[in-house]
Amino acid sequence: MDILVFVKRVAATQEEELRLIDDGKNIDLSKIPFKMNDWDNYAVEEAVKIVEGQGGSVTAISIGSAESDEVLRRAIAMGSKDGILMETQEAIHDPALRAQAIYNFLKKEDIKFDAIFTGVQSEDDQFAATGGILAGKMDLPYASMVIGIDAIENGYFVLRRELEGGLQERIKIKAPCILSIQSGINEPRYVSIMGIRKASKVERKTFKFNDFASRGDAIIDLIKWSYPEKKGGATMLTGEMDEICKEILEILKKKGVC
Amino acid sequence: MSYALIISEVRRGVFEERNLDSIGMAHLAGKDAFLLIPEGNYNLNNSIVNKIIKAKLEESLFLNPLIITELISKIIGTLGAPEIVIFTHSSSGIELASYLAGKMSLPIITDVSGYDRNEQIFFKSYYSDKVFGQFKKAKESPLVITVRSGSFKDHVTEKGKNAEEITVDGPSGIEERSFVEYVEEEKTGVDITKAEFLLSLGRGIGNKDEIPKFEELANLMKATISGSRPVIDKQWLPKERQVGTSGKTVKPKVYLAMGISGAFQHIAGMKDSECIIAVNKDPEAPIFQYAHYGIVADANKIRDKLKDLLQG
Amino acid sequence: MQDEAASRVLVCIQCGKCTGGCPESGRTPFNIRMLVRKKQFSYTIDESIPWYCTACNACTIRCPRDVKPSEVVIDIRSTLVENGDIPLAIQKALENTFVQKNPWGKPRSKRGEWAGKLNFKVPHISETEHKRLLFLCCVHAYDPRCMVIPVNVATLLHRAGYEFGILGEEECCCGNEIRRIGELGLFEELMEENKTNFKEYGVKEIIALSPHCMNTMKNEYGDTGIKVMHYTEVLSGLIKEGALKPHKPFEKEIIYHDPCFLGKQNKIFEEPRDILKSINNTNLKEFSRSKEISLCCEGGGGRMFFEVETHYKRNSETRVEEAQSKGVEIITTACPFCVMTLEEKAVEKGLAVKELSEILMEVI
Repeated sequence: MDILVFVKRVAATQEEELRLIDDGKNIDLSKIPFKMNDWDNYAVEEAVKIVEGQGGSVTAISIGSAESDEVLRRAIAMGSKDGILMETQEAIHDPALRAQAIYNFLKKEDIKFDAIFTGVQSEDDQFAATGGILAGKMDLPYASMVIGIDAIENGYFVLRRELEGGLQERIKIKAPCILSIQSGINEPRYVSIMGIRKASKVERKTFKFNDFASRGDAIIDLIKWSYPEKKGGATMLTGEMDEICKEILEILKKKGVC
Repeated sequence: MSYALIISEVRRGVFEERNLDSIGMAHLAGKDAFLLIPEGNYNLNNSIVNKIIKAKLEESLFLNPLIITELISKIIGTLGAPEIVIFTHSSSGIELASYLAGKMSLPIITDVSGYDRNEQIFFKSYYSDKVFGQFKKAKESPLVITVRSGSFKDHVTEKGKNAEEITVDGPSGIEERSFVEYVEEEKTGVDITKAEFLLSLGRGIGNKDEIPKFEELANLMKATISGSRPVIDKQWLPKERQVGTSGKTVKPKVYLAMGISGAFQHIAGMKDSECIIAVNKDPEAPIFQYAHYGIVADANKIRDKLKDLLQG
Repeated sequence: MQDEAASRVLVCIQCGKCTGGCPESGRTPFNIRMLVRKKQFSYTIDESIPWYCTACNACTIRCPRDVKPSEVVIDIRSTLVENGDIPLAIQKALENTFVQKNPWGKPRSKRGEWAGKLNFKVPHISETEHKRLLFLCCVHAYDPRCMVIPVNVATLLHRAGYEFGILGEEECCCGNEIRRIGELGLFEELMEENKTNFKEYGVKEIIALSPHCMNTMKNEYGDTGIKVMHYTEVLSGLIKEGALKPHKPFEKEIIYHDPCFLGKQNKIFEEPRDILKSINNTNLKEFSRSKEISLCCEGGGGRMFFEVETHYKRNSETRVEEAQSKGVEIITTACPFCVMTLEEKAVEKGLAVKELSEILMEVI
């Protein structure tokens, strides 16, 4: 089975306070390190596991700046056969534009595949939409929130999707198809620096994003960014033991857990 | 006529509470709310929408992206194009919405948690709510959105009369994607990472004899018990219950930390919880820097009081 | 490095002196002699076993054949790292270090935040005359318990009129623990990044706050031409010169715990004791196992990031019990890992753990 996996290089902002600059037109990421999008890490691992089991190949594809080569090398170190970069210096904020470019690229370059994997979402824009839009455009069956692939038989994936509250649904989906992989589906392997260095020797092809779509094709506009409403530190509950405990129960009720 | 098409989410016969956010969004945008729902009996106040479109098909087909897209295009054929198509931002919502947007080349904005009615700007989270992007559609076309649970339900208003109901035939099943069954996640031992409500215990509870009393409280509150490293080390609780860098990383809806001071390694394992309530005797305990609610008190006393209240 | 380790195991005569001095042997499944034996015959090694090693180096010091068993452990671990067969907690620590240059994954941009707690400004190393670098260590930069240590030492150096500078957010993890975890590629990257900075700013001396950082920069960074010291060496010198005067009495019974990376691995035994002895009215006691044979606290070799599965009595508990039996009120030490491991057990038993600089701040 030949699987294409889309991987994205994102800013590691989990512990950072972000600063907006240029009147909210930009986010200052200048001092923030980058890494592979967490969900894509799971998607690569899942694809590699499948190929290790039944043969085929994994190709990692990234849309982004030249630095996105980092995540391609990582994907190769994890077991991908090769990597493709669709290079664009500017960030893309419309998932429809992203999907349009991928669609045009796959058609024009006549890329063959049995499945496309994406992460459910990326840590930066959290759209969770690129895989689905692409599937709609390509007229391919689609599933998101894939938390387990139970079998691949007779041209079908039998897989589980994560729903809410500990519930899952098992579905059957026909290949070729597009699957968006949920974090936690597997335990992504560790890739050592030595492994990444070795991966540098594997060829990665570079294409220009603009050859497949132009920014004018975006169908939503990002006007600017703003900060969320401020939340102060802990609200301290004080007073009589009785009142405090009633307040705790009130909070639990509001959160719907008690 | 400009209307909002709301794709309701029903799961195992239940009309999900989060649909109210979709309806609230339509009201906030000043659009007539047309609710698409599979045929069946649901606990739904039908005076909060203008029209109910009942589709003759099973729930599992309704929530299939390939099928719902066909259904929606059929509705558009009859009623005209909506101004906006609203889904919930959930496992099924994102799947349905993105596929629909791709298939019909519609603009899409997901995880919408705010709306500026004058400017017609939608707010969506970036980087786990650290900043919000302000979006507008850039094309004259129906817009697809998914809305965040809890964001718009306060905007729901009663219309004063019951909604008009119409029925449409649903497409039949397809082989490209088919539903097999619902699966309850396996429960092998306790998985604290799956719990929605954790009652987490630290050294501050004093000694092992206190554990059963906390277990009683956990039962009353329907909480799952977890603990910090010292408590696990002392074998007051088994290793599988440990929260922190050397244990598990958890993100429950509520993390009630009792007697936990909040060592760095512990914080790393729970700081992303939706709501953190910390009880600790030491007002300087680092956990208060990360908590949403803090109580400076003896964990055991709070425990006993909570038990009293819950037992009535 | 790996080839060397492989060849050394062949000269092992299985005398067992390594196991005899190992802080893990007996109580845990870890048997360093057996590990060397298995390596000699290329037998398979249960992959959970090598992670018990605390990298204290007692085995290597005691070995009569210079087998360097502690390096054999690193060798075994490096194979596990290359194959990805490592505990999840270790994997996280390595991935964090790769992205944020510290094992906890705290933002690099906040590495210099501690300096905001000072009431004077510490210059960047490039703005200093003597090019003496105060090297923080990830623990001091980020852990709320240990952040007080750089604040104290910087304050003491400042009061003594001793010029120094810092790298701030340019500093990255020293790699001492990373090398011992067996991620040799990552260790090289960290070392290169730090060495590039040292070179760019013309660093002449390094004052390391943690014995772990000192150890790797002194012994494993190659010939940098930089003099690397632990801060206790600098402070004891300043006290002797009279630049710092501990004038207030400290009427406490205290005991000093030798950190493995300061003591047995780098033979710095006297400087911390000299500092303590310079304080009036202090009664300094010694552990029965001190200096060369000091009992490891089990914080090294990656053990700060990884909990071994089995339940057994921790060395820190043994250590605290002995301190208690000697009637002391305070255990003092000069390593952040020792502070963290000892303090956990000490607090339970009503003892305090103070890092050496914390005591000094009370008397100067």
